[in-house]
Amino acid sequence: MQKTSLLLLLLFLSLCRLNAQISDFDPINFKKADSIALSLKGENLTNLPELSFKLTNTLNTDAEKFRAIYRWVCDNIANDYSLYLKNDRQRQRYKDDSLKLDTWNTKFRTKLFSRLLKKKRTICTGYAYLVKSLADFANLECEIVQGFGRVSTTNIETLDLPNHSWNVVNLNSKWYLCDPTWASGIPNPKTNKFSFQYNDGFFLANPKLFAVNHFPIDKRWWLLDDSEIPSFDTFLKAPVLYGNAYKYLELHNAPQQMHHTIKPYEKVIFKYQLKDHTNAKGVKLGFDNGFSTWKDQPTSISIKDKSLEFEHQFNQTGFYDVHLYIDDDLISTYTIEVKR
Amino acid sequence: MKTQTVTQNKTFKTFGFALILMMSLFTFNTAFSQTTEVTQERTIKGLVSNEDGPLPGANITLDGTIVGAVTDDEGKFTFPKKLKTGDVLVFSYLGYETQKVSITDKTSFITLELTPDMVEMIGAIDTNKPYKSKRKKN
Repeated sequence: MQKTSLLLLLLFLSLCRLNAQISDFDPINFKKADSIALSLKGENLTNLPELSFKLTNTLNTDAEKFRAIYRWVCDNIANDYSLYLKNDRQRQRYKDDSLKLDTWNTKFRTKLFSRLLKKKRTICTGYAYLVKSLADFANLECEIVQGFGRVSTTNIETLDLPNHSWNVVNLNSKWYLCDPTWASGIPNPKTNKFSFQYNDGFFLANPKLFAVNHFPIDKRWWLLDDSEIPSFDTFLKAPVLYGNAYKYLELHNAPQQMHHTIKPYEKVIFKYQLKDHTNAKGVKLGFDNGFSTWKDQPTSISIKDKSLEFEHQFNQTGFYDVHLYIDDDLISTYTIEVKR
Repeated sequence: MKTQTVTQNKTFKTFGFALILMMSLFTFNTAFSQTTEVTQERTIKGLVSNEDGPLPGANITLDGTIVGAVTDDEGKFTFPKKLKTGDVLVFSYLGYETQKVSITDKTSFITLELTPDMVEMIGAIDTNKPYKSKRKKN
């Protein structure tokens, strides 16, 4: 009897963990939290206890308090591309010399906090650190997660040093994931300068979707069942997801790998769970065979109960970068080699 | 004789009760005096530093409020509100571990060194730039 109860409790707890995402807070409207964050736009970081108080003191729930803090950080802190490049270069340079890497980290930490304080510019850990600091002052339980992030411009097959930080927050005794850096904006494709463009998809994101391009060093922060945690090798072989994926997708189900080798006239099957209803006409594939690029509708497509499935037949031999677009927003990329 | 003994007993009882009452009052009064002394509000000053010396711009906040002070160019501060024993001050500065200090009977000047948060700074930038395979040049 005791054993059965324990098993049921474990099952309940694991289900709680699996469902830890924004849909848990459906009845809560984050408009008030967002408007407080907006009204404090431009505040500086010289008095964090006061900033945290101003962001949270009129809000009733922990979820709203955390939302106001998270949203303020996303809307007010810019990603510093030059700092990122400098750090990346030095970390690669010293990756086999732990002493020099430590010295660099200490020096860089001082510089980074000074840049954050004076110019409100930073890189991932600075975002995660600031979210945690402001949350701490509001008595919210929040942690920084260090790990690997896969984006289209990193050398995605050979990630050897941790390169990304994000947060977990405990709300109503459940942990949730969020990524303030990637939610804050993206570099302007023309100028390469950072441009604020808040992406709500990274707030209390679905852990299964998050796992496609976030690999935490500390296993606790997958927030997945042990059986669902990918190996590092599997993680490196996953498709590339873009920020827009978090806007449109609840889950990325197939294909689970980035690279595929098929024969002419074979089909590749794509499966996703959508967040909202989408018109089939807006679903397109973009192709790049190294010589030219074009967009096309998939060979066949079906959308039922927010479940999007389609397949595409590749007739010509060649090596294709295949991009999924929904309403002209880039969602994910796969590579398909068609050979006899 | 019996009556006398009863009367004597009564006298002793009354006297004893009065004595206990007086002692209780005395004790209570002493305790009260101590409490008065402990809760006496006073001005707290201090000096905050980091690994390089005095730290200007550090925040000192009364826990649970936004009443606070900021250290001057020499790392010194004078807390704007008079504090009492048991109050807790929160010392913070971006990039350093937050520290809490409880005010005791003897606190009048706080000297505190903040220690850096040893977090490793890393960062990957998300982008909308489509992934492009590296291909052999013909």
